Amino acid sequence: MESLRDIRQEIKAIKSTKQMMLTMKMISSARIKKAQQQMEDGRPFAKKMAEMIDNLRKDIQNPSSEIHKLPAYRFFDNSRSDKNSVALLLITADKGLCGAFNAVALRAALKWVRENSDKEKYVFVVGKKGRDFMRRLKIPRLHLAGELIGIFPRASYAHAAMIKDAFYNLFRDHNISTVDLIYNDFKSMASQTLISKRFLPFDFDEIPGEENVSDFIFEPGMIDIFLTLIPRYLSASIYRYLLESQAAELAARMNAMEAASKNAGEIADSLSVKLNKVRQATITNEITEIVSGANALNN
Amino acid sequence: MAGKKLRLQIVTPQRPVLDKEVDFVALPAFNGEMGVLPGHIQYVAKLNYGVLRYKEGETEETFAVMGGLAEIEHDNIRVFAEDAALAEEIDEEAAKQKLAQAKASLTKHDADIDMELAEIEIKKALLMLKVKKKAPKF
Repeated sequence: MESLRDIRQEIKAIKSTKQMMLTMKMISSARIKKAQQQMEDGRPFAKKMAEMIDNLRKDIQNPSSEIHKLPAYRFFDNSRSDKNSVALLLITADKGLCGAFNAVALRAALKWVRENSDKEKYVFVVGKKGRDFMRRLKIPRLHLAGELIGIFPRASYAHAAMIKDAFYNLFRDHNISTVDLIYNDFKSMASQTLISKRFLPFDFDEIPGEENVSDFIFEPGMIDIFLTLIPRYLSASIYRYLLESQAAELAARMNAMEAASKNAGEIADSLSVKLNKVRQATITNEITEIVSGANALNN
Repeated sequence: MAGKKLRLQIVTPQRPVLDKEVDFVALPAFNGEMGVLPGHIQYVAKLNYGVLRYKEGETEETFAVMGGLAEIEHDNIRVFAEDAALAEEIDEEAAKQKLAQAKASLTKHDADIDMELAEIEIKKALLMLKVKKKAPKF
């Protein structure tokens, strides 16, 4: 049987762990408001970039357009790219203690790697968990194209622009045909969903647009506008994914820590019941000893 | 066009910077400064690193705008810039320091330093200082 002192020590340890989890939960919930605000603030720019691309839809899809001769056209049509070379953008967290957040993303990444086993694979990872996972994988033709560690919870547009540049280089140097994307989407405080989808080439059905496309005059010319627009649209999209993942991570950590501290509370409760029982048993034992001792003397 | 106003919005990837009714806007378009009054034709212009000015009644304000695009549609002007700063909010000392830093990194010829990035930094810092000087003093 455990001694009273052992149980008391255990209760103390569990209570202090619980306190730590509660603190982590509070930190996450304080940061999440800011993360949500950041998402809100970034939305107008991203939306407008998408709308402007949609305005150019006719020109981009017109086969005789000058745009088709540009290298940037491969973001829309990959028929001239190397089908045996693909890329992935994987967004995870730097830290654990956030439930299944990292695990689901890594599982999806592994699936992606297996599906493309015969191709040259280039992976850009955001977050330490994803980076460590990718480094441990010993799979042929898997290349770590770049990594971004320690940007959360302060992801900025500059980070997104760095990722965009990395993919530009992959397109240029390895003629990659597609870019896939794996990240956790912030649905609400209570739920995050894993998104695994094609990022490039663009799917026009995914770009939100208005029905009435108005005629604009472009200065200095449509091609120049197109070339200005594309990198900004890419960066803005990546920026949005980073922010989604950032908010989702905080929400996941908040929920995980709340559940964990609840569990710790339950364990502490059941331990104190056990403590009381053991203490009572000791007292009963002592009384029995005294009484039987006294009886023996009287006899 | 008396009484008609323009709605000027300046948006950066990080946040919306400005949303205001104004009388006149001068944009730093790629081929030179471009003035916009109410009733302008629909237009999309590429922007340079430059100075954006607007007039509203008697007051005139100046912004530093770091490249991007401007869209003019039915008296709505939307400026989408990588970055934008109101002249009054620019910290002159910080801009000077950044300029010095960027210039220093250019002369080092270090392989690790991205020349393009350094040049952009110089452009930004110079613009900040230029805008600061032009800004009306209060």
